[in-house]
Amino acid sequence: MEKTKLHLLLADDDIDDCDFFKDAIDEISGACELTILNNGVELMGFLVNDPHTHPNLIFLDLNMPKKSGMECIAEIKASDNLSHIPIIIYSTSLDHTVVNSLYDMGAHHYIQKPAEFESIKSVINKVVTLFGDTSIQQRSRDNFIIRP
Amino acid sequence: MKFKSIYNSERILKIIFGLSLFVVLVMGGMSYQLIKKLSKSFEDVQHTYQIHIELEKLLSALKDAESGKRAFIISQDSTFLEPLLSSQSELESSLERLKLLTKNNPAQQKNIAELKIKIDKNLEIFEKTLGLALANKTDSPEFISSFKEGRQTMNSVRFKIMDMTTHESEELGIRKAKSSKTLSNAPMLIYYALIFSLLILLLTYLQISKNLRILKEKNELLETFKESTTQSEIISKHGNWIWYIEDNTFEYSDNLYRLLGEEPQSFPATLENFMGFVHPDDLDKLTEQVNKMMENEDLPFIHYRIIQKNGSIKHFKAYGKVLIDSDGHKKLLGTTADITDEIENYRLIEERNLELERNNKELASFNYVASHDLQEPLRKIQTFISRLEDKEKANLSDNGKLYITRIKSSSARMRSLIDDLLQFSRTNKSEEAFEDSNINILLETAKHDLAEIISDKRARISSDSIPSMKVIPFQIKQLFLNLISNSLKYSRENVAPVITISYSQTQASDLPKIKFSKHDLYHTISIKDNGIGFDQEYAEKIFILFNRLHNKNEYSGTGIGLSICKKIVENHNGYITAEGKLDQGSVFTIYLPITT
Repeated sequence: MEKTKLHLLLADDDIDDCDFFKDAIDEISGACELTILNNGVELMGFLVNDPHTHPNLIFLDLNMPKKSGMECIAEIKASDNLSHIPIIIYSTSLDHTVVNSLYDMGAHHYIQKPAEFESIKSVINKVVTLFGDTSIQQRSRDNFIIRP
Repeated sequence: MKFKSIYNSERILKIIFGLSLFVVLVMGGMSYQLIKKLSKSFEDVQHTYQIHIELEKLLSALKDAESGKRAFIISQDSTFLEPLLSSQSELESSLERLKLLTKNNPAQQKNIAELKIKIDKNLEIFEKTLGLALANKTDSPEFISSFKEGRQTMNSVRFKIMDMTTHESEELGIRKAKSSKTLSNAPMLIYYALIFSLLILLLTYLQISKNLRILKEKNELLETFKESTTQSEIISKHGNWIWYIEDNTFEYSDNLYRLLGEEPQSFPATLENFMGFVHPDDLDKLTEQVNKMMENEDLPFIHYRIIQKNGSIKHFKAYGKVLIDSDGHKKLLGTTADITDEIENYRLIEERNLELERNNKELASFNYVASHDLQEPLRKIQTFISRLEDKEKANLSDNGKLYITRIKSSSARMRSLIDDLLQFSRTNKSEEAFEDSNINILLETAKHDLAEIISDKRARISSDSIPSMKVIPFQIKQLFLNLISNSLKYSRENVAPVITISYSQTQASDLPKIKFSKHDLYHTISIKDNGIGFDQEYAEKIFILFNRLHNKNEYSGTGIGLSICKKIVENHNGYITAEGKLDQGSVFTIYLPITT
């Protein structure tokens, strides 16, 4: 059981959102391991300095201080060591053009932060279920956006 | 055209003038010839009479000598012999004169020679008889035979003279007949020629007076043109100038002086004087262009500034073209216009455009930032409420629970407002986003998004097949989404919604709103429902942002949805109209131009 436990990484500068995310993960049965980082610089530092603790999934907020989510995804996808990690965008907004360009940059999925806590839980659960069997997820534009 | 005819008639006039000059010369020549002939015939007559007289004289001299001899023989008075002596010399000179007079007539010369022989013989006989008479041998047979012979020769002389007189008269007759023919015809001919040249002169006069009249008319027209040119120069703020290329001199119109802020013709029209007004910054450029003009004899559009004496700066635009007149002289006709107002207006418009653009950008970014940044705290409020409901519901009083429900509905409404506003601000036009799209698929996607509410309301939606168009796909999907959800939202209670989407094509001229369009044909998609409808008087109002016809409690709605529809349709250069009948339904019609 310990081996299949998913290691999730959340990069978000908003403390409230981080708390909601943590609460949701806690309430999802068969909980996952969660690392929370509060900006892009911290995220890149974590990924580069600790090659043995690479997460299975990265939840990435777009609007962050110091280094934005856009910059992070570009760096991660450009790196040979990191490009294999699936990235799920976790953002407040849902802008058509931004969504499209993120898909082009290599993001796996896009989640617009839901308002209801139940929805947060359900959308994270969907992702965990999707990536739970550790088989490689194929990207597709049609299923890019995950809704609760 | 008329001028051309004048040039032509000028040539004709020259020809006519030459012709009449020729006729007059011919007439003069003819008259000269005539007078010469007349005097010649007069001379001929005189000549004949002279010959006659000489012959008469000759005869009378002979007769005198004869009668003197006879008188001497009878009277033996020697004084009767005196005329004999004088007549002899007279005979000689008479003969000489005759010879001279008839020197051009060989027949008469011959006659004179014969006559001379006869006279000489007569004189010989005369001498002989006279000698016999002096010797008083008048009775001798020798005298009588000589006397008889003398009479015979005398007769033959007389006959000869008569002959000659007749001959001369005949000659005169022939000459007279000869000359009388030409003499009688000539005056008639001269008269005709005179009439002819008078006729030509008359024609020439008519032509000249006609030309003069045309020239006068043209002159008046030119005068009018000049006046109207001066007027239009003043009105449209331009001046004309002429550069006489061969003389390298200039001529400026009055208004050109006015454009420079000077009194008309107040200084000599020279290039140097004009250059004195040019703005120092433009002087080099203009000098170069003028040099080019002198080199190429052509002036393309140029632009420069001048400074008037009162210090105000004016923008000028000039253009020139070479004209070659009918005499082959080259001149460059130039027009210089004061475009200061134009330039200032243009600058003003440009400034306003920039300002508008800036304002628009600010507004768009404000709208976006406002709605986007508002989303975040609102979302958190909603999340916290949902947490509160989940975890603390048991600790709340009934009032507390009610407040939470109220907060929830208010925040939900705020949420939809922000979402719609964001949607509205994102509905922009960008040319790259246009692509050939299957409209039927976009419609299906919109229906798919509304599947839940469609089935909840048991709505029936039917649609025509719609051809492909070049559109911004997600906007057209949004358009269908908004219009169909509108129809579903405003359905009548207990009546299952029936939505009919139909397609047709409309001529631009049949479009009720638009009379002038650059497109001829429009795709026409109409969405018809059987909902609550609306009063036609609000048909325009419902498209205005935040305009609602119903109370918030009755129907949820932000008043942004139809504004988004309008914006989308306008992004596609189209039009949207609404028709409503209260409690019967409404029809929304979209017109999109058919581009080829």
